[in-house]
Amino acid sequence: MRPGFFVMEALRSIRNNVAIAVAAIVTVMIAVFILGTFIPSFLYVQSTVDRQKQRLDVNVYISDGATDQQVAGLQSGIKQLQTEGLVKSFTYISKNEALAILRKRMKDPTVLDLLPKNPLPASFKLTSTDPKRNAEIRERLIDNPAIDKTMGEPGEQGISWAKETTDRLLTIAKFIQYAGIALIGVLMVASVLLIGNTIRLSIFARRREVEVMRLVGATNWFIRWPFVIEGVICGVIGAAIAIALLWGAKVGVVDQFVQDNGGLTKGEAGPIGFVTLAALLIVSGGVVGAVGSGVTLRRFLKI
Amino acid sequence: MSTGAEPDQAQVPTTEPEMITQEERRQRRRDGERRIDRRSLLRPGDGPMVILDKVTKRYNESSVALRDVSASIEAGEFVFLVGPSGSGKSTFIRLLTREVVATSGSVIVGGRDLRKLRRSKVPMLRRGIGCVFQDYKLLPGRTVYENVAYALQVTGDDQRSIRRKVPEILSLVGLADKGERHPNELSGGEQQRVSIARAFVNHPRLLIADEPTGNLDPETSIDIMQLLYRINRTGTTVVMATHDRELVDKMQMRVIALEDGRIVRDQRRSRYARAETPAGGGDE
Repeated sequence: MRPGFFVMEALRSIRNNVAIAVAAIVTVMIAVFILGTFIPSFLYVQSTVDRQKQRLDVNVYISDGATDQQVAGLQSGIKQLQTEGLVKSFTYISKNEALAILRKRMKDPTVLDLLPKNPLPASFKLTSTDPKRNAEIRERLIDNPAIDKTMGEPGEQGISWAKETTDRLLTIAKFIQYAGIALIGVLMVASVLLIGNTIRLSIFARRREVEVMRLVGATNWFIRWPFVIEGVICGVIGAAIAIALLWGAKVGVVDQFVQDNGGLTKGEAGPIGFVTLAALLIVSGGVVGAVGSGVTLRRFLKI
Repeated sequence: MSTGAEPDQAQVPTTEPEMITQEERRQRRRDGERRIDRRSLLRPGDGPMVILDKVTKRYNESSVALRDVSASIEAGEFVFLVGPSGSGKSTFIRLLTREVVATSGSVIVGGRDLRKLRRSKVPMLRRGIGCVFQDYKLLPGRTVYENVAYALQVTGDDQRSIRRKVPEILSLVGLADKGERHPNELSGGEQQRVSIARAFVNHPRLLIADEPTGNLDPETSIDIMQLLYRINRTGTTVVMATHDRELVDKMQMRVIALEDGRIVRDQRRSRYARAETPAGGGDE
């Protein structure tokens, strides 16, 4: 109808009921702050676990005696798996490269010079799309004659992927994911209930006003719009304050920590951008405020 | 205007609304009628404004507020609704604004059967009815001006016509200089004038007053009464619930007496209590 009028009405209502507005803003602020710390923390943990999962390589060892043709056959087998979506990427590591990698990892590489010949096999290093299906990859490739079946852990000769560690990591990852989603879900429900309660109190305090409006012939939406806009204003202000606090916490604590720990976490931190998070929280603050007051008002609009 | 309700000038100690000229009044009425056609559900015309036909209102098993009540109020009439507390006066009034719905029987206001009225249309009905209450029901935190303006904003009046109409109606009720005050800074009588201004600013064809003088001293009550009478003289039907015996006796208007949810008397030009020899009119 007339948005300007409704906004003015909402502002008037906030001015006339400062205490109630402050209560609503503080409630939204607390809820948003808690969500604002939990969501990125959870996403960070999850992304770290995901990264670890990516590092679970599958090694396909190539026997020294394999002919070029056999190796090419193996490679085309892996390519086939890649087109099927089982393998994400793969690289070929020659015997020399394998030795170089080992040399880099060892504290005292001079020991390696004592070896009469390079004992390491050439290999294909595969990154699987889904570590749970590593066994399937093995099954598909193991019959290839180029594979050196003497290499690797027992039970994983020829093609190995640290099965036990993988399984454990996958279990932990799953647990973290479910627990995180459940926790954030509970927090969201709690926030909505908390904010809804505050709004209910504020509208209850003004139920007489609503009654009078009805008696002079105001339609439900004529009464409701200012309340909804008021809810949006309180929600957005509360969320904005919470975001300011979160920004302070990020710059003052988290960024400091990330810097101190250098390579460990840098580059991996912040899987969700602060701006995205802030926008998300402000929008949800406004929506919760609007829906909260709009829905609560229904009870008083029945007469 | 119905003939029976027209009081004798000699009998009634009230003033004519002389502050409005004939020309203005005609103009205003034309305005009012156009507006009513567009916004209010009340149908124009000279038929009965209110018809209650065998209306019973039961709040629950044990409490019956109205029992088999039938009454008809013509357009332009001034009707007192009298009776002791709990006799059903308030229920009668609230049936007309559809705050409550009759358990059985039909309530027709301005040609509309309220039982068939959809809930979404209730606000439209109320725009055509002015309401005045014992406790004024003004909006706190709004000035006198804003309180009156709200009734116009509700109907979608533009800013220009609000700026024209509100001062006009405030001077009509004698509060021209109190527009910027808040209700809690006013006396009871002044607050009731604001409430009347708000009820009348849309020029409704029906004005309902529920104990409008209930909280006021006798002198202020007479002022309020005169204001309501003047409003009635512009052609507005007025239904007023009261138990102010003196006022009713002085006005000599139609009186509907309720007792225990039943109409026990419906008399024109009557007094609060049953007269030994009815003055004027007689039983309906």
